[in-house]
Amino acid sequence: MDLEKFKVHGEPLIYGAMISIALATIGIIVGLTYFKKWGYLWREWLTTVDHKRIGVMYIIAALLMLFRGGVDALMMRLQTAAPEMKFLDAQHYNEVFTTHGLIMILFMAMPFIIGLMNVIIPLQIGARDVAFPRLNAISFWLFFMGAMLLNISFVVGGSPDAGWSAYFPLASIEFSPTVGNNYYSLALQISGIGTLMTGVNFIVTILKMRAPGMTLMKMPMFTWSVLITNIIIVFAFPVLTVALALMMFDRLFGSQFFTMANGGMDMLWANLFWVWGHPEVYIVILPAFGIYSEIIATFSKKNLYGYTSMVFSMVIISLLSFLVWAHHFYTMGQGVMVNSFFSITTMAIAVPTGVKIFNWLFTLRKGRISFTTPMLYTLAFIPIFTIGGVTGVMLAMASADYQYHNTMFLVAHFHYVLIPGAVFAVIAGFHYWFPKVFGFRLNDRIGKHAFWWIAISFNVTFFPMFFLGLMGMTRRMYTYSEESGFGPLNMLSFAGALGLAIGFVILVYNIYWSTRYAPRDTNGDPWDGRTLEWATHSPIPAYNFAVIPKVNSRDPYWESKQKNTPLYEDKITKIHLPNNTGKPFILGVIFFFLGFFLVFSMWIPAIVAGVGIIIMLAVMSFERDHGFYISAEEVAATEKKLRGETV
Amino acid sequence: MIKQLFPIRHVIGYLASLVLSAAALVVIYGDLSDAANMVVLLVTAIIQASLQLFVFMHIGESADTKKELYINIAYALFVGLITIFGTLFIFVWGWYA
Amino acid sequence: MKIDASKPLEYSTEENSNKIFGFWVFLGAEIPLFATLFTVYFVMVNRFADGPSGAELFEIGPVLWETLLLLTSSFTIGLAVHAMRLGNKKATLVFMGITLLMGLAFVGIEIDEFFTYVHEGATLQTSGFLSSLFVLLGTHGAHVSFGFLWGVAIMIQLWREGISPATANKTFIFSLFWHFLDVVWIFIFSFVYLKGLM
Repeated sequence: MDLEKFKVHGEPLIYGAMISIALATIGIIVGLTYFKKWGYLWREWLTTVDHKRIGVMYIIAALLMLFRGGVDALMMRLQTAAPEMKFLDAQHYNEVFTTHGLIMILFMAMPFIIGLMNVIIPLQIGARDVAFPRLNAISFWLFFMGAMLLNISFVVGGSPDAGWSAYFPLASIEFSPTVGNNYYSLALQISGIGTLMTGVNFIVTILKMRAPGMTLMKMPMFTWSVLITNIIIVFAFPVLTVALALMMFDRLFGSQFFTMANGGMDMLWANLFWVWGHPEVYIVILPAFGIYSEIIATFSKKNLYGYTSMVFSMVIISLLSFLVWAHHFYTMGQGVMVNSFFSITTMAIAVPTGVKIFNWLFTLRKGRISFTTPMLYTLAFIPIFTIGGVTGVMLAMASADYQYHNTMFLVAHFHYVLIPGAVFAVIAGFHYWFPKVFGFRLNDRIGKHAFWWIAISFNVTFFPMFFLGLMGMTRRMYTYSEESGFGPLNMLSFAGALGLAIGFVILVYNIYWSTRYAPRDTNGDPWDGRTLEWATHSPIPAYNFAVIPKVNSRDPYWESKQKNTPLYEDKITKIHLPNNTGKPFILGVIFFFLGFFLVFSMWIPAIVAGVGIIIMLAVMSFERDHGFYISAEEVAATEKKLRGETV
Repeated sequence: MIKQLFPIRHVIGYLASLVLSAAALVVIYGDLSDAANMVVLLVTAIIQASLQLFVFMHIGESADTKKELYINIAYALFVGLITIFGTLFIFVWGWYA
Repeated sequence: MKIDASKPLEYSTEENSNKIFGFWVFLGAEIPLFATLFTVYFVMVNRFADGPSGAELFEIGPVLWETLLLLTSSFTIGLAVHAMRLGNKKATLVFMGITLLMGLAFVGIEIDEFFTYVHEGATLQTSGFLSSLFVLLGTHGAHVSFGFLWGVAIMIQLWREGISPATANKTFIFSLFWHFLDVVWIFIFSFVYLKGLM
């Protein structure tokens, strides 16, 4: 076999990456062996079907990817910090901005959100698990293996280098002959299938497994946002599935979908990509809206203002999100009618979004606000996101867009939307729900230090880009001349990026510090919460609730605390739980190899892996696993222990 | 026994789908205008799809999920049709010529 | 596991009715999937470069056979579920077997069609039109083939276990899948073949 194609030739940086990956792998293996943790890892994590543990694994993976994507970002800002920089060459720069985008959207923002919803949704609706716990594990492992497949591209064969949107003809085999974009099509495909399964799972969970009394209009706002998000996932991801499959056919089998000759149509890729891509934006932003709604209500000690309008604005956003995709390519050559139509639908989205902003402001009004770390992120979100939204309306005007299409203005705009709209939200949610999972709060003082570093540096990094864009600097250019005058603002932006890095390091230090020194919570309700997730213990027992709560308001736990009415009326009975299983993990591993072999056009091994997948599915179909029961006595004993009573 | 195993609803549904498929053949053997042909195809296809959905798949049989299933299919059709006609709008009908 | 006797066996537990509902949601996702493939086909339909057009390529004979097979198999899988609700294991298995055989015959004819096309010089690589045609038909055919394997697995379980909440649930979900493939075929029949020959 020709080993040459696996190699990546490059610079010291790539070899450095190879060495660090190898060292990290060896370190993990040695560590696990030395501390005899292999069995623990397998039993408690790799084979788990518990939504809480799966959620934690999603979040850990997302944090790792945040740092991978963050390093990419630092490298880009360093390369463009001054004119004619020689830190990265053009090819390397292309790979870095491509993987930065892919990782941050698909392997950081989405899994972070899916992780939070895994942990929280069953608790918020008073359920013992998701509807299909095994499918949930399969979803996670498919996502994880997709992420790993994309990450090894950096050192095995070469990364995708045609931008995260991978426009044709650039992404075609003719203009991108390395395996990079094969990785793109397969890694995204594998994790996309996982995400689609998550969508199905959570729709069924939320619609069918709510605690008695929790009608749709009594669901917590985060649950609502997750329901809508998963509906978008289920109907948008199939479009990506097809687009990626066609890309794979073009690159591996020589079909003519997006080619320049033989009747192919390169622009069709851009079209399909954004039919999925625009709803994708709302997939990462709607749950953020849900998180903020929870945090604002909790820390203002008020119920959410305008609940019904919140719900309807999300439903409207979900429908409109499918009607705006062409605004990503106004300059492609379609007619005035088309651009006008998509221009109007795009601006229309600002209306329901504005409704939500006002609802949050009215919730804050006259509230007893406590400025905790999650609340600070939330309060920073509102003005920063509004800047992002307003510049979005500027971009929505098709004729004006011709002036700043694909300039740094756009880059500034979507970072102003996505960082407060997704990153701040997941960090806020992380701080907010951390004590629920681990039983102690992250230190507030250190958390606030991190917040100020992140919030200020964010603006220092991205605000100059608006002006760079208006000055004519296009996105994705790896260097520029001194005469262009782009230098000073880019240097400022680089300084901001360093500040962001410091902020994230402080955030991680906070996790370390709090794990060691933070006081432990005893009652499971550190923030004086309103919804059901605070009504059980922290850390959460495997069965979530010893008795399924009865709900009769939108803030059931708050209500029960205020009026001293009991949430739990039934007696403890035996509880049914699913068994752990290693099959989802194995299935994920086989998918990884299938993807890898297809990337390198190794047909025979790929067929073997494909057959392996069918065999695994058959094995799972024939298996009858009825789970197990925890007896009522055992539940009662666990409950006593968690309350701190002696058994 | 045979009567029990071949419920009349299913038999009628099956015969109807055969008739509709045959009727659609008019577009190649008949002599209608293109527009009329498209109408024939649309009408026969939509009736057949509905037959499958309502007669064979029993979409409305479970009272506690009926509403959700209709919303599900409606949303899916919304996205599917938007994708088809939106794309044709961009590349065919609305292309700047 | 609580079994609710007032409902058909396949809905009888919470897990079972969740699975049916979940599968409907999954079918909801299949609709945009096939809609996207149709989108690509409609955009590509006149972009046949140097290759043949649909009118030159299609023949109505095999297509009518394929249609008849799928329509009939959709009818028999409906009968299988009906027989299952009557508790008649043997009839369920017979109807399901007929369904799967017809599915197999369908795939056979489709593969033969593909060979004919390729023989006439119409391959995946020839033109945008043919790429989109092969992938649209191929995706549907792959669904039918997967359905065949899946159906065989369910038949074995039905044979061994009889009609239980688990097997009834699987059979019912399979029937939804099979009917759905028939729906997709109706649109392929109408808007690919008939429209192409029009």
